[in-house]
Amino acid sequence: MGLLVLEDVRKTFHNGELEEEILKGISLSLQPGEVTALVGASGSGKSTLLTIAAGLQSTSEGVVQFNGENLSAMKPEQVRKLRASQFGFVFQFAHLVPFLTVEEQLLVMLDVAEFKLRKAEKKEKVHQLLQLIDMGHRKHAYPSVLSGGEKQRVAIARAIIHEPKVLFADEPTASLDSKKSKEVMALIHDLTKRLNISTLMVTHDEEMLVYTDRFIRMMDGKIV
Amino acid sequence: MNMAWKEIVKNKVRFLILGSIIFLVSLLTFIISGLANGLSQDNASLIKDLPNGTFYMAEEVNNSFPLSRIDKPLLKEITEEHPEAVAFSIQMGFIHDESDQQQSIAFVAATDSSLFKQVNPGEIILDRSLTEKEIKIGDKLTNSQFAGTWGVKRFVDQKKYSHAPVAYISLEDYEAIYQTNTMQLVFIPGDDISQEYAGLHSFSKNDFLKSLPSYSAEQTSLNMIVWFLIVISGMLFAIFFYMMNVQKIDMYGILKAIGVKTSTLFQMMWTQMLVITCIALAISVMCSQLFAVLAPEGMPFHLTLSSVGKLAIIFVVIGLIGATLSGLQIKRIEPLQAIQQGGK
Repeated sequence: MGLLVLEDVRKTFHNGELEEEILKGISLSLQPGEVTALVGASGSGKSTLLTIAAGLQSTSEGVVQFNGENLSAMKPEQVRKLRASQFGFVFQFAHLVPFLTVEEQLLVMLDVAEFKLRKAEKKEKVHQLLQLIDMGHRKHAYPSVLSGGEKQRVAIARAIIHEPKVLFADEPTASLDSKKSKEVMALIHDLTKRLNISTLMVTHDEEMLVYTDRFIRMMDGKIV
Repeated sequence: MNMAWKEIVKNKVRFLILGSIIFLVSLLTFIISGLANGLSQDNASLIKDLPNGTFYMAEEVNNSFPLSRIDKPLLKEITEEHPEAVAFSIQMGFIHDESDQQQSIAFVAATDSSLFKQVNPGEIILDRSLTEKEIKIGDKLTNSQFAGTWGVKRFVDQKKYSHAPVAYISLEDYEAIYQTNTMQLVFIPGDDISQEYAGLHSFSKNDFLKSLPSYSAEQTSLNMIVWFLIVISGMLFAIFFYMMNVQKIDMYGILKAIGVKTSTLFQMMWTQMLVITCIALAISVMCSQLFAVLAPEGMPFHLTLSSVGKLAIIFVVIGLIGATLSGLQIKRIEPLQAIQQGGK
């Protein structure tokens, strides 16, 4: 059994009298140390599936289980705690906090995840991760002076600094050029292996699939 | 890590502008409050400085005490029941000093009581503000309706009525000027006096102050300005944080998505509001106290640290309410929306 398991997940949106089924019975399982990509045309339901798997929205039917626990049965506060401590997120845009330095962005995430370390230890952990992603020299920089690629590297570091079990990446290279996209994907792939994380990623760029262990193609809310 | 403080440091100008506005609004509020208190003292310190108690005036005068007359038998009955009771009269008038300058004053005469200064016939005790008119102890003062003269016995601090300095005279001299030996008012000190007397209307101290001509009108308009300024400051906070929050909706959404508690975001906003308000109010309190020292002579300005403290607490509470109301939008932010909308 995988770390994160989706069983017959369905999602229906209601717009007045109209009813639209976005996900039509999706089942999948994520394994540690594996990058899984969701690919498909726009509107195929891949981003909806990712946000449901991450506990950011609920299913209409079906079950999402993390470590054997059903997310749908959890209270919102339990889901928030799960997101803060066990999940990491990378989005299309870096979404860094503009008034925090690179180092502070990561320290904040450790606080959010209620990571039990002393201040000096937290700083050391941040320093080591920034070295690992080749951003050590930029730790006192604010987001406004970073390039797009650098911002996304910091966003990835923020997503994994608290040692999550699952990394969710929604189009992480969509705002980057081809060279930087490859660098970022290589980094995600490398960190997934090193830290034994399960990574679920949405991408429309099939060139990036070389950095994944498997991919799931979606069409009209179904896996094809 | 204190994100609230980090944001203030990074966006100094933005928060400095808000702090400056709060400083100016609160300083204006303190100054107007000082003026309101000063005018209140100038108008009725004679009454305000009395302890809590009950005032009685004739019922038929329709709350206009200058027309009131307390019958002697009734006064005797009251003083027998309440030996601490005092009967007194206040009449606006004027005196001529030794250089024949006319000074407006409020004559006050009272029966034997420690609550009012007692003088012998031919003596007068004056409010200290008359020393600025070069009147000294021992000077001889006259009045066109008074055949004799008064020797200035001494001066007392801050005893004013209807913006005029008070002049304590004896009951005999009062009778000589106004041709009456009946008093206008009776005052019984004490919090638990609820006795009613036939033909008399009773007032608490606050109600009596409100019945004074011009007092209510003056205080109501000034206090209205003070409260308007306080409400404006609350709205300033609401608008400022609303604008700030609108700009940060994406960031809040993402922070919520990664697991930051909504309460943490509220705490961040409250911390910023408290830091800015406390700094602005501290500077404002210092400036208002400086103004109290430097205010021109004759300006009725009276601002105690206790009244400034109370206003400051009201400012903080109103600011907190304003910021919280604007922060309700934080509660409504959906992480999904922020993720789907993209951002910087």
